[in-house]
Amino acid sequence: MMPLTAIVTGASEGLGKSLALELASRQIDLVLVSLPASGLSELAGFIRKNFEVKVTIFEADLTLAESCTSLFALLKSEELTAHILINNAGLGNWSWFEDKNIGFYKKQIELNVIAPVLLTHLFLAQLDEERTAYLLNVGSLAGRFVIPKKQVYGATKSFINYFTRCLQLEMERSNISISLLSPGGINTKPELLVLNHTLKGIAKATITEPDRVAYEAIHGMFLGKKEIIPGGVNKLMVVLNAILPGFIKDMIIKSKLKPVVKL
Amino acid sequence: MKVLVTGATGFIGRNLCLDLAEQGYNVVALCRNTAHPYLISHKNITPVKGDILDRESLAKAMNRCGQVYHTAALAKMWCRDKNDYYNINVVGTRNVLELAGESGVNKVVYTSTCGVWGPTIKHPMSENDPRIDGFAIDYERTKYLAEIETRIYSAKGLNVVTVNPSRVYGEGPITDSNTVGKMISGYLKGKWRIIPGKGTQVSNYAYLDDVVKGHIAAMEQGTPGNRYILGGEDISFNAFFSTLQSITGKTYGMFKLPQRVIEAYSQFELLKTTLTGLPPVFLPEFAARLKKDQKYSSQKAITQLNYSITPFEEGMAKTINHIKSL
Repeated sequence: MMPLTAIVTGASEGLGKSLALELASRQIDLVLVSLPASGLSELAGFIRKNFEVKVTIFEADLTLAESCTSLFALLKSEELTAHILINNAGLGNWSWFEDKNIGFYKKQIELNVIAPVLLTHLFLAQLDEERTAYLLNVGSLAGRFVIPKKQVYGATKSFINYFTRCLQLEMERSNISISLLSPGGINTKPELLVLNHTLKGIAKATITEPDRVAYEAIHGMFLGKKEIIPGGVNKLMVVLNAILPGFIKDMIIKSKLKPVVKL
Repeated sequence: MKVLVTGATGFIGRNLCLDLAEQGYNVVALCRNTAHPYLISHKNITPVKGDILDRESLAKAMNRCGQVYHTAALAKMWCRDKNDYYNINVVGTRNVLELAGESGVNKVVYTSTCGVWGPTIKHPMSENDPRIDGFAIDYERTKYLAEIETRIYSAKGLNVVTVNPSRVYGEGPITDSNTVGKMISGYLKGKWRIIPGKGTQVSNYAYLDDVVKGHIAAMEQGTPGNRYILGGEDISFNAFFSTLQSITGKTYGMFKLPQRVIEAYSQFELLKTTLTGLPPVFLPEFAARLKKDQKYSSQKAITQLNYSITPFEEGMAKTINHIKSL
């Protein structure tokens, strides 16, 4: 059988890069999407050389709607059908709402919400119904817990959560498996490395390594899991979240925030 | 010309001081303790008390130096206060780069590590290859962050070249960061009797003299803003110990410790360290690394810096002789 082809957005760094490597190690061809000048061609060269899979790169800013359409136009012109879409690209933040400008939030919503919706739509339209397809949307535990200083980011991930669950119901009878990945913090980008490095206690225990998250994500995706929560402590947090009454959770979050709450 | 070497008592730094002094440079050897036993005495080496975290002492030491070799780092596997890694490796490097820019130093050579790439898949990594692993190892993470500092200062116009040695072995003192020396000396005493896993894991071993020469060549010929891998041969644990066996003539029954046992043991060590604060023998992030190769290509340095690699057996023979004499 022809090898599967997977699109990974935000592939140049962090979790996206680990997901690309995990797929390549399973002999899956890749279409890697990332911003221009983000080292994508070096990554593609490395993967081709070391895993001997076909790698296509597409450098574009996904906050522009036309980037999404031109990605699938490129695939069509190359006679490529994607069987797997991983909506991974995203923009995070850890800041008080007033501290970022409106341009930042617009971009964050465009990348975290609009791009995955458009890409999913375009992806479904080009599927070959004979072959099982896979859609993996990267959400976040931040989409399940209310975390101050992650107000817009968490809201975009709640959107992804709802969107993915809804599609799972709508497309139950189709030959497509749809999974939601809900990771906690991941040791990825250099700027996050500094931040994660200063964490302590439970916050630190929820931080996981990207290659581990990538393995659990792809493994879970092929098993057809509806939601994948990487890391033992994270799973426990989700369970606690479901059983603890609301006022206790609020108390915990507020007490955690005490040192940082602005007066 | 006056040349500053930070980390002058370190495994690479001390031999670098000696080579530069022999070539006639006036070497300012920055050390926290000028009476340090590993400091080499030579008429051209002037020990200066200072610390890369104490900007005043650093500026003083750098005064009228034309070149700076920044080899100082925290390269140990573990230390009690994890913030030390960030402070020494990142903030310390930032201090060196910033003061070098202010005091009119012509060129800086920064000693990074192949650990910024870490594990490899099939082919040896070269300078433009991406890092494929996370950053569980503190040393690797902070050296990676320090390289970002060099890029920032390079963009501001500082002439800085980065060199990336692999696992360095050679004639020098046996310290916590000299892992190869520890293995050889343990083997000679009959105390090191294990081979991790199946022994097939490959690492790159760089001979100290080559690495020191590579530093000086990077200062003379390195392109500003570039990095150069200074490595050696890719050798598996099995090949490492059979070389050791044939050179020393000592044959011990070596025990191949299964990866699972190493991982379990490293978890126990982590727990022990977390509970008691005692230094661990081995940690889970290093156990995980034993599953992957660390192969690197020095081709760029060979082409652009005339870097040469001493054959592994030759370098090992010299190293073993040296360790026997200690």
